Amino acid sequence: MSHIHLPDGVLPVWLWASGFIVVILIWTILLRSMKKEDLTRRLPLLGMMAAVMVLGASVEIIPIAYHVNLTVISGILLGPSLIFLATFVVNTILALFGHGGITVIGLNTLILSIEGVLGYFLFHLFWKVLKRLTPAVFFATFIALLFSTSAMIGVISLGTSHYEELIHQERGKGIIGFEFGKEKEELHPGQPAEEKVNLGPFIAIVLPLGFIGWMLEGVITTLIARYIRRLRPDLLRLEGEPL
Amino acid sequence: MIQLSYLDYIAVEKRSFLHRLSPKLKIIGMLVVLFVIVTMRSLPGLFLLYVILLTLYFAGKVPAKILSLTLYPLIFAVLFIFLSGFQIFFILLILLKVLCGSTGVVLLLATTPYPSIFSVLGRVLPSSFVIALFLTYRSIFILLTVLENTQHALYLRGGVQWKHPWRSLINISNAFGHLIIQGIDASEKMYESMVLRGFKGKIHYRGE
Repeated sequence: MSHIHLPDGVLPVWLWASGFIVVILIWTILLRSMKKEDLTRRLPLLGMMAAVMVLGASVEIIPIAYHVNLTVISGILLGPSLIFLATFVVNTILALFGHGGITVIGLNTLILSIEGVLGYFLFHLFWKVLKRLTPAVFFATFIALLFSTSAMIGVISLGTSHYEELIHQERGKGIIGFEFGKEKEELHPGQPAEEKVNLGPFIAIVLPLGFIGWMLEGVITTLIARYIRRLRPDLLRLEGEPL
Repeated sequence: MIQLSYLDYIAVEKRSFLHRLSPKLKIIGMLVVLFVIVTMRSLPGLFLLYVILLTLYFAGKVPAKILSLTLYPLIFAVLFIFLSGFQIFFILLILLKVLCGSTGVVLLLATTPYPSIFSVLGRVLPSSFVIALFLTYRSIFILLTVLENTQHALYLRGGVQWKHPWRSLINISNAFGHLIIQGIDASEKMYESMVLRGFKGKIHYRGE
């Protein structure tokens, strides 16, 4: 839920283009900071965890249209650098199946990365403080999802003026619109206030559904982590635990 | 997601003029569709694009049952409609953009085998990214096989029943945990076999 399931052509060009630029910059920095042999050795693991995330995204919890992301558990297992690369791959694959637009891959990567990277650091922080796996994973997942959903709402709110422009497009404008960086929209004088884009109902729907989703994903991630700890505790690399 | 393997099967096995068309041309075509979706703000224009894509879909002999994949993103688009305060023009615009985008990508994937797509992408995108894409795609099929076997075990333990939510959650989580552990083991084996076959950080496609 915490990534933008938006089709292409809804967000303003400057917004999604900025998403791509930031992702490419981070990708380049990460690749330069990693040893080539190390990256080559870990690429199959990255691919496998990305595939787990893609499969997780395909399990739909029908009543609330929620699907698990598994980004936090993948972040814990892959580490902060690889989870960023993995989310880029996951979003590209998902976009190829129509799950989110192609142009929003960059923004979705940034949003999902927040979840994975934050999840990784919060998990290790909570583990250090609490020394108990269940609350450490649950709270890390819950807080990471809260932040990424807020980031998603923030990104969507950045395009408000563009949505208004799309809504009022009906009133005698051309059939093609490609205004890079255009932000201002000419509102007609005397235009009724209710025709403006209102983020309120959107947030009012996303947040309660999101809350159920964060709880659900928190529980699922915790149970997965407990299962992994029983069988392969070495994968979690818990500080102070014998391997 | 199970339909993914079927999609791949169609891309390889079906024969139509779209299947025979060069992958490079089809990717350029997809980029053109994307450009139109991003820039077009006219309902008749987008509707015409959708009709063209549907015509190509059936002319390409892509089975109708895959069409449901193109409708899936509509579930999420509905959420976005609340932004507009239910303006009919905006709703139709969003729905048509969703349908055009998803039909375009499904059409591309159903008529082009994925190694061909990655081969074209490998010429313009960084090799590490394309390798990661390729390995992810390959891993999905490995995991689907694991998932199929896990489903039997899951079924024997009660499966997923909404009457027993806690047990269902435990079962789903154990299945994912099993999938992750099996996946990590498989990724280690995959890397070893790739190195044995001379992998040095680049995948070579047939015909290169």
